Amino acid sequence: MSAIHLQNLVKRFGPFTALRTMDLHIADGEFMALLGPSGCGKSTTMNMIAGMEEPSEGQILFGDRDMAGVPMGRRGVGFVFQNYAIFTHMTVRGNLSYGLRMRGAPKSEIDRRVGAVAELLQLTPLLHRKANRLSVNILQRVAIGRSAIMEPAIFLLDEPLSNVDAAFRAVMRTELKHLQREFKQTMVYVTHDQLEAMTMADRIAVMDHGVLQQVGAPLDVYNNPANLFVARFIGAPGMNLLPGRPAESDGGLVIDLGPLGISPPLPEGIAAVLRGSNGEVFYGFRPEQVTRSVDGRGLAMPVSFVERIGARTIVHLGEGERSVKAVFENDAGAVVGETLVLVPDAASVRVFDAGSGRAVMAEG
Amino acid sequence: MTMATLPSTLAPAVPADKPENESARLGFRLTLPAQILVLFIAVFPLLMQLYISLSDWAPLSGVEWWNAWELWNSFANYSDLAADTRFWSALWCTALVMVICVPAEFLLGLALATLFADDFPGKRVFYSILLMPMMVVPAVAGYMFFMLFQSGGPVNDILSALTGRTVAIAWLSDPTLAFIAVVIADIWQWTPLMFLILLAGLVGVPDDQIKAATLLGANAWQRFTTIVLPKMKTIIIIALAIRVIENFKIFDTLFIMTGGGPGVATETISVYVYKVTTQDLIWGYVAAIALAILVVLSVVAVFAMKRMAKARELAA
Repeated sequence: MSAIHLQNLVKRFGPFTALRTMDLHIADGEFMALLGPSGCGKSTTMNMIAGMEEPSEGQILFGDRDMAGVPMGRRGVGFVFQNYAIFTHMTVRGNLSYGLRMRGAPKSEIDRRVGAVAELLQLTPLLHRKANRLSVNILQRVAIGRSAIMEPAIFLLDEPLSNVDAAFRAVMRTELKHLQREFKQTMVYVTHDQLEAMTMADRIAVMDHGVLQQVGAPLDVYNNPANLFVARFIGAPGMNLLPGRPAESDGGLVIDLGPLGISPPLPEGIAAVLRGSNGEVFYGFRPEQVTRSVDGRGLAMPVSFVERIGARTIVHLGEGERSVKAVFENDAGAVVGETLVLVPDAASVRVFDAGSGRAVMAEG
Repeated sequence: MTMATLPSTLAPAVPADKPENESARLGFRLTLPAQILVLFIAVFPLLMQLYISLSDWAPLSGVEWWNAWELWNSFANYSDLAADTRFWSALWCTALVMVICVPAEFLLGLALATLFADDFPGKRVFYSILLMPMMVVPAVAGYMFFMLFQSGGPVNDILSALTGRTVAIAWLSDPTLAFIAVVIADIWQWTPLMFLILLAGLVGVPDDQIKAATLLGANAWQRFTTIVLPKMKTIIIIALAIRVIENFKIFDTLFIMTGGGPGVATETISVYVYKVTTQDLIWGYVAAIALAILVVLSVVAVFAMKRMAKARELAA
C-alpha cells in the first residue's frame, strides 16, 4: 500500500499544456476520484502516475519514493483501462496469470494465486473460457483481477464504466466499491461521471482545463463548491447562478438581482464578508434546495419549460443568464407561462465573486 | 432469360407451405448468371485440361481438342510424369527457392514492419522507397538483375571496390551463383509485399493491450511473443499463403535472368511447363503437369485456409 503525492506536476504536449501545476496528495488506501469534463487533464494525470507519460515538470512520489525514471512495469501499479484491454486471444486463466508468468513465477504459486483471485472475483467457473466472448461485467472483473493478482499498492481505473449501459453501471458501481474494500489499495479513479465519483470516492478532485479546481469529500464538494466551475459542474442539474450586486435591505445584506428584484437576506457568515463591497457577484443555490414561497416573497420568475423525469420534476424558469432550474420531489403542477415564486434555502445559498469566480467563504 | 422469369416468381404472394424452398429457388435463379460464368472460367477449363491430360493431344496433332479421345493414351502422361527426372528436378528447384525466399521475405518484412510501426524522421520517404520494388514490372526487374549480375556488371564492380581486387564472377553461368542471384532478386522484389501486409497486421494490434502487458511487467520480447505475434497470426498466415502460392509460380524475373539455366540449375516448375508448352508442344503432357501442380497448390491453400479460420477463431 502506498500514498501518492503529486507535486507541482506539469504536462505539456508541444505548445499545449494539458496539466498545469497540479498538487494532490492521495492517502494510503484512499479512493480518490479525478472528475472533470473531457480534456481536463485527468487521464494525463493518471497516465503519468502509471508511468505511461513523463511529467514535463514536477514530481510523483509513491510514499517517499520518487517515481521519476521508473518504467511502468516496475511501479507496482494496477491499471484498468477504459475498454479493459483484455487479452482476447487468451483464456480468463491466461489473462489472470499473465503478469506472474511474465515474471517467471513458479507454476504452483501461479495456480495458487490465480485460484485465490478467481475465487474472490467469482471467476472460478469461467477460468477456461476464451476472453473474447465474455460480457462486460466479467471483462471488468478479469481486468481488475489481472492487475490485483500482482498485488499492486496502487490501483488506477480509467473510466471503467463508460462503456456500460446505465442500468448496469449502478450494479458495477456497487461492485467496484465492494472490491476496493476487499483489496484495500489506494485507488485513483478517473471519470467524467459525477454520479460515479460521488457514490464511490472518499474524496473527489475536480479538474478543468488542466487545473485542479477543488479537492474534497463528495458532499463537501457538492455543498461548498470552491468556484463557479465546480458549482456548475457538480450536481445534476448544476447550481443556479444569478448575476447581481450586494445591497443592504431591512432584513440584512441581500443581492440585488436586477430585473428579478432582490434575493432573500444572505446567511450572516457570507454577509459579513461581503458587506461593504459593491463588486459583481453570482448568487448561487442548488435546484434541489428551493421551495415555493408561501407568502409571495422570493424570486418571481415565469416557467419556461417543465421536465418530468418520474419521481422528480425539473422546472426551468426565466431565460438567458437570468434563468434557473428548480427540482421538485413531486409533480409540482407547474404550467409553462405561469409565474412561480421561489425561495432558496437560506443556509445553502452560496455567493461567488464574478471577477475571480471564487466562492465567498464565511470567515472562521 | 433468367431475368425474364423473375417477375413471375415475385408476383404471387409467398406460398404458405414452403417459403424457404421458394426463397432458395429465387436465390438460385439470381445467382445463376454468376454460376454460369464461374462454370466457364474455372470448371470448364479444368475439365478440358483433365480430358486432354489423358491423351497425346498437341496443337499440331491434326485433330480438334474435343476429339482428343482419338489420341487416348490412358494414364501414360501421369506415369511419364512420375518418371520424369526433369519434372522432379524442377519441383525440387521450386521448393528450394520457396523455402529460402519465403522465410527470408517474412523475417525481413516483419523486421521492417516492426521498425515502421514506430515513428522516426523520414518515415514517409523510406516507406515509399521500400514499396518501390513491388511496383516494378517483374520483367523489368528481371532485366535489371540480369544487368546487375553480368560479369562486368555493378555487383562485381562493388565487390571489386570492396576487396580491392578485380572481381569478375560469372554469376549467371554458375549453377549455384545463378540460383543465389535469382533468390536475391525475388527477395528484393517481394519483401515489400510481406512488409506491407505485416505492417497492416502490426498496427492493428490494440495499443492498450500492449500497454496493459507492459504494466503487468512484460518486457519487449515477451510483449512481442505473447501479444503481438498471436494477434497477428491470421495476417501472418495470409501473407505466407500468398507468398508460397505466388512463389511456387515464380517465372518472369527468373526466366529473364537465367532462362532456367545454366542447364536446369534454376529451372522451376513454371519454366519447365513453359518450355514443354512452347518448345516440345506436347500439350497433353503439359495438362498433366499443370493438374499435378494444381493439386499440390490446392492442398497448400486448403491447409492455409483451415489454419486461418482457426487462427481467426483464436484471435477474435
